[in-house]
Amino acid sequence: MSAASLSAPDELGRRLLDRLRPGSDSRMTAGLTVVLVAVSLGASALLLMLTGASPSASLSAIWTGSLANTTGWTTTLLNVAPLLLVAVGACICSSAGTFNIGQEGQVLVGGLAGAWVGLRLAMPGPMLIVVVLIAAAVGGGAWAALSALMLRFRGVNVPVSTLLMTFLAIQLVTFAVSTPWGLQESTQGSSGIADAQSNPLPVNAQLAGFGQYPSLQLNTGLFIALVAAVGVALVLSRSRWGFRVRMVGLNPLTAKHAGVRVGALGGFTLALSGAFAGLAGGLLLASPVSTNRLQAGLSDNVGWDGLLVALVARNRPLVAIPVAFVFAVLRAGGDFLSATGVPSYLVDIVKALLVLAFVAPPVLVDLFRGRRGAMPSTAPAVSVVPTETKAAA
Amino acid sequence: MTPTTSAVPILELRGITKSYGTVTACDAVDLRVDAGEIHGLLGENGAGKSSLMKVLLGLVRRDTGTVLVRGESVALDSPQEAAELGIGMVHQHFSLINGLTVWENVALGDTGKVNKQAICSDIAEVCARYGLPIDPEAQVGSLSAGERQRVEVVKCLRRDPQILILDEPTSVLTQAESQELFGVLGRVVQEEGRAVILISHKLAEIAQATDRVTVLRKGRVAFRAATAETTPQLLAQQMVGRDVSLGEEGAALGLLPVQKARTGQAGDRDRQQPVLRLAGLTVEQGGVRVLEDVDLTVGAGEIVALYGVEGNGQATLGEILAGLLPPTAGTVEVAGSTVDVTRPGALAKAGLGIVPEDRHHSGVVLDMSVAENLTMKSLDKVSGRFLLRRGVMRAEARRLADEFNIVTSSLDAPVRSLSGGNQQRVVLARELSGDTRVLVAAQPTHGLDVGAIEDMYSRLRKAAAEGVGVLLISTEFEEVMALATWIAVISSGRITGVLPVSEATSERLGMLVGGEAA
Repeated sequence: MSAASLSAPDELGRRLLDRLRPGSDSRMTAGLTVVLVAVSLGASALLLMLTGASPSASLSAIWTGSLANTTGWTTTLLNVAPLLLVAVGACICSSAGTFNIGQEGQVLVGGLAGAWVGLRLAMPGPMLIVVVLIAAAVGGGAWAALSALMLRFRGVNVPVSTLLMTFLAIQLVTFAVSTPWGLQESTQGSSGIADAQSNPLPVNAQLAGFGQYPSLQLNTGLFIALVAAVGVALVLSRSRWGFRVRMVGLNPLTAKHAGVRVGALGGFTLALSGAFAGLAGGLLLASPVSTNRLQAGLSDNVGWDGLLVALVARNRPLVAIPVAFVFAVLRAGGDFLSATGVPSYLVDIVKALLVLAFVAPPVLVDLFRGRRGAMPSTAPAVSVVPTETKAAA
Repeated sequence: MTPTTSAVPILELRGITKSYGTVTACDAVDLRVDAGEIHGLLGENGAGKSSLMKVLLGLVRRDTGTVLVRGESVALDSPQEAAELGIGMVHQHFSLINGLTVWENVALGDTGKVNKQAICSDIAEVCARYGLPIDPEAQVGSLSAGERQRVEVVKCLRRDPQILILDEPTSVLTQAESQELFGVLGRVVQEEGRAVILISHKLAEIAQATDRVTVLRKGRVAFRAATAETTPQLLAQQMVGRDVSLGEEGAALGLLPVQKARTGQAGDRDRQQPVLRLAGLTVEQGGVRVLEDVDLTVGAGEIVALYGVEGNGQATLGEILAGLLPPTAGTVEVAGSTVDVTRPGALAKAGLGIVPEDRHHSGVVLDMSVAENLTMKSLDKVSGRFLLRRGVMRAEARRLADEFNIVTSSLDAPVRSLSGGNQQRVVLARELSGDTRVLVAAQPTHGLDVGAIEDMYSRLRKAAAEGVGVLLISTEFEEVMALATWIAVISSGRITGVLPVSEATSERLGMLVGGEAA
């Protein structure tokens, strides 16, 4: 259909993303963010009290679990790496106007691919971990590429297809780890019982720490994630390819006119974001944050949380670094908190409230001011009543 | 047609102010409309005409001011209230649903049970009374622009409004259709004592059809007078806020008569090598032929205008030439070689630049910087294999910004922060940079103020003088007469005639626009 080729390829995703761009009116947005964060923290405290826990004790538990000592720091920093990788991937495809929300599944498929290579490929030496991580990235990328193909050939919405593919991924991994000829662990001794998980990765397929610090472990995964964040930020802002990506994200028609293959580039960024999520899955598998075994619970919401990191960072990879750190604190501290008897879902609720507090303000500012685009932020000269010019399109 | 000044005006606005954020769209506007008159509301784009009417229709709430209908103060909080007060509007852009029939569209917005017979007989009655023949069973999608306008008017008149507002009603009409519309309006006010507010930026139209006129400038009332006591020149001066000569600016404002463009090169056309040749361009969308077998050539250094009423396939042609839409059949040749328009950027590479009809749609990326927008089509020039060269990009952008007088606080400012005229200059500068052989300018002066229009005209002339072939797609008669050496007329997606400007008259073009051979 010629009409379809004229409009943006993925309207739904674009409309969602439009709402999440760095805001137009920063002062009002910032003020509202502060207010909403306060409100969400207050609501969290109230919730804790309602369940009979003490807010201050909970806060100190989160602190103890995440930042109070080197053990806490180790856990927190181990959590930063996969979150940041997922978020950086999300930044890439969002910059191109493609809204991938299926990172959770892409993380799992990445883990599956990494585990399969790590367990089946008997390679000596440290090359194996490199191959495992590459396989994980390729796996996650291929999983996301399926959604890109669905868009290209059947016009399926990317947010919808990536979301639904997540549930398929969970089934796929569950199947793999509960099938003896798949990746299920070898039976233990004479009992003959095997759990729904894989064997642990061989030691040379596990990520080593770097540097020697008393009782603090810094994992190579963190280093990979930080390099990825800085690298992607540079590529998006400084490279020719990044220029095209931003053009496609901001105005696909102008980009097409300027000679960009809009559909192909959008699909490629989607696959790339899947690859970053897959790599995050590989990290989860290969770093001490997990048991180094593939399980259906391997991803443990890292995909969702990473997506939230990108949302809060408004798709800026460098901003994603501190945001990922905050989320990692909540993850590490939340685990510790639930060990003290507070239901762990409360931590999820707190997290969700915080995300809302960060994501909602620009949307609300727009609502206060009438619909977005009703007033050009700085240039009234365009037309005082832009509906006129819009309708002219 | 002398205005009857009754004691109590049918509508009076006092001190209407409406701001959007920091921008004041209407600033203490007073307007008085009597029963039995056609009141012209004149102003440039952004002068506040539409905002004022939105207040009147209850679509937006005024900040301050009083609205009196027949002497009584009214709140106007909702469109329903405005409708009950007998205020009706025919919008500039049709608010009809193509998939529905005429009577269904007319019934939209009615409350209670839908009674087809009653509605159809209503329509027949209105049609007969005003001489607006229309088939209630026809699908709106199959009607011409003029017929759709008729449906809009019938829909509005059926509600029996006392105050009828028409927003730029002739932008999609042929001259004959415009005449018919004004005839109907004359009857509405004279025989039935209603009031009509006619919004327009075309002076000729205001002078011809209205009894009194109010001119808005930058949200304020700049001038008001009985139309008979004023002249188009005076109105133009009030609208723009400075003296207006009859030449260039006159054409921009729709003033007659126009100076015809020089016709020097028109004679030896066949000997030139055309820089743009469209052959048999056909586009089918949903079984409808939007463009049919369009042949058109543009020679180096000449300005060829494609003239026609809005909605006759020009937009589709613009999309093809912007590389956004592949044609169903036909070829595009630039500088002698056929271009594969399905390849992104192929037209640009071949040397075709285009100022698109809607620059926000496909001309600029509003949230990217001026420098980025100026160089986005020539990335090879401003980047290495992998990295952008910011310095080169800025230097190139600086050069273009100086050459084209682009006024911006900084080259790093987003294009969104520029005025419409400067945004248009960004597009023009980019499209003319590099080795441009053909420039397509689609409605290049839409929405620009007079100064920017003049600038655009001189730039198009300059481009042609430097040997670029210019294809000007325009709906403005005065514009094509002032700029073009050849005029091709498009009607319902077909080229109905091509004539040199020396042979073009408004009558001949009018007939061609209506689809008749002239």
